[in-house]
Amino acid sequence: MMSEAETAFSIRGLDLWYGKSQALKSVTADLPARSVTALIGPSGCGKSTFLRTLNRMNDLVGGVRIEGSVLYDGVDVLSPSTDVIDLRKRVGMVFQKPNPFPMSLYDNVAYGPRVHGVRDKARLDDIVEGSLVRAALFDEVKDRLHESALGLSGGQQQRLCIARVLAVEPEVVLMDEPTSALDPISTAKIEALLDELKRDYTIVIVTHNMQQAGRVSDRTAFFLLGELVEYAATKELFFNPADERTENYISGRFG
Amino acid sequence: MRNQLNEELDELRHDILAMGSLVEEALRKALHALKTGDAALAKDVRRGDAEIDALRLGIDDRAAMLIATQQPVAGNLRELVTVFKLTDNLERIGDHAAHLAKTARRLADDPYPLPLDRLERMAAAGVAMVHDAVEAYLRRDEALAREAAAKDDEIDAEHKAFLREVLAYLAGRPDKAEQATKLIATSSFLERLGDHVTNLCEAVVFMLTGAHAELND
Repeated sequence: MMSEAETAFSIRGLDLWYGKSQALKSVTADLPARSVTALIGPSGCGKSTFLRTLNRMNDLVGGVRIEGSVLYDGVDVLSPSTDVIDLRKRVGMVFQKPNPFPMSLYDNVAYGPRVHGVRDKARLDDIVEGSLVRAALFDEVKDRLHESALGLSGGQQQRLCIARVLAVEPEVVLMDEPTSALDPISTAKIEALLDELKRDYTIVIVTHNMQQAGRVSDRTAFFLLGELVEYAATKELFFNPADERTENYISGRFG
Repeated sequence: MRNQLNEELDELRHDILAMGSLVEEALRKALHALKTGDAALAKDVRRGDAEIDALRLGIDDRAAMLIATQQPVAGNLRELVTVFKLTDNLERIGDHAAHLAKTARRLADDPYPLPLDRLERMAAAGVAMVHDAVEAYLRRDEALAREAAAKDDEIDAEHKAFLREVLAYLAGRPDKAEQATKLIATSSFLERLGDHVTNLCEAVVFMLTGAHAELND
């Protein structure tokens, strides 16, 4: 197990190109384990690209070239010999729009464990219930686990997607604007959930909502034009940023 | 972007300038009352103090509203936090000016036989400090804020010297105990006024740097 102050991701000199355009420029950062790191910056600044690099989701995009290094718990994430399936099991992802599979709640959550070979019914029951509890959804849906997930509200669907990620027992949860499609009540539930989850999981979250970054994260990274401009304790970054570009962005003077 | 926040911050700055000017004026009048024993001036200063208090409440309410509705961060947030400190201390300085004017009138009934130069110099230094502190806020001038705070040492030195003089005087004239007490109270008002201006300067340095400065011990 990683200790409290231990580094989950160690990123050094990360460059990334989509074709000829450079999306990340020599990004260097250590992301601490079991805490929430927020990635902020205007559209196209590279924050989502950076997030997707952490579990190799950029592999799915054509014409990508990456240099530099990303270490996760000692594993060289970018190495061609790294088992991507195993990596993505350890480093799960929640997307902007809730994307439940068109099947029952139960089967959504059991999907990952089944793919990873869990067949025992009692064991699956435990995983499904435990994951829904940890995603703060179980009480709301326990009587309709076998109904379609598509009947849930947007906020419930997103928590279902979080439960689906938790079901494969990841160590890290990456979140790409997980509340941007949700109403304020659902957003508040997800934010409260993040506070619970960070006790056991490392969370990295991309958000366009600056107040959200301020509320939920321990550290914040501000990206601009592919550059990591400032990366600091959230309270420091929002109260007394070191870089004028950070100040201008979080004060709403551009972006 | 964020034009409304910037416009409203500009208006707040303008009102703080107005508040600072009123406080300076009150101090000048109190100083004049001290020199001349003019009873009408004392009344004037009290009326002016009500205006200062009203201005303060208006500024504080609008600053709180901006925090609630605009969610300011970084420099904007530090400025709004600073605004509360500025209005709080300016309001207190206004109160001291009113006390000073009142005491000046009472002293006039029973003139003090020694010159009041020290009190006048303290009040004059106070006026200059308030002026510079507000100026430092508006111009975002950390050096000026530190300079203004440093003048508090002059006030403190005058205060200590004045206390010694009054006590020496009192030793020879025990019948003047009541008058001596008023003089000591006046000097103490002015000494505390200096402390409040130091607070203003510390607030400005905080706004500019994010660090809590201790400009005087």
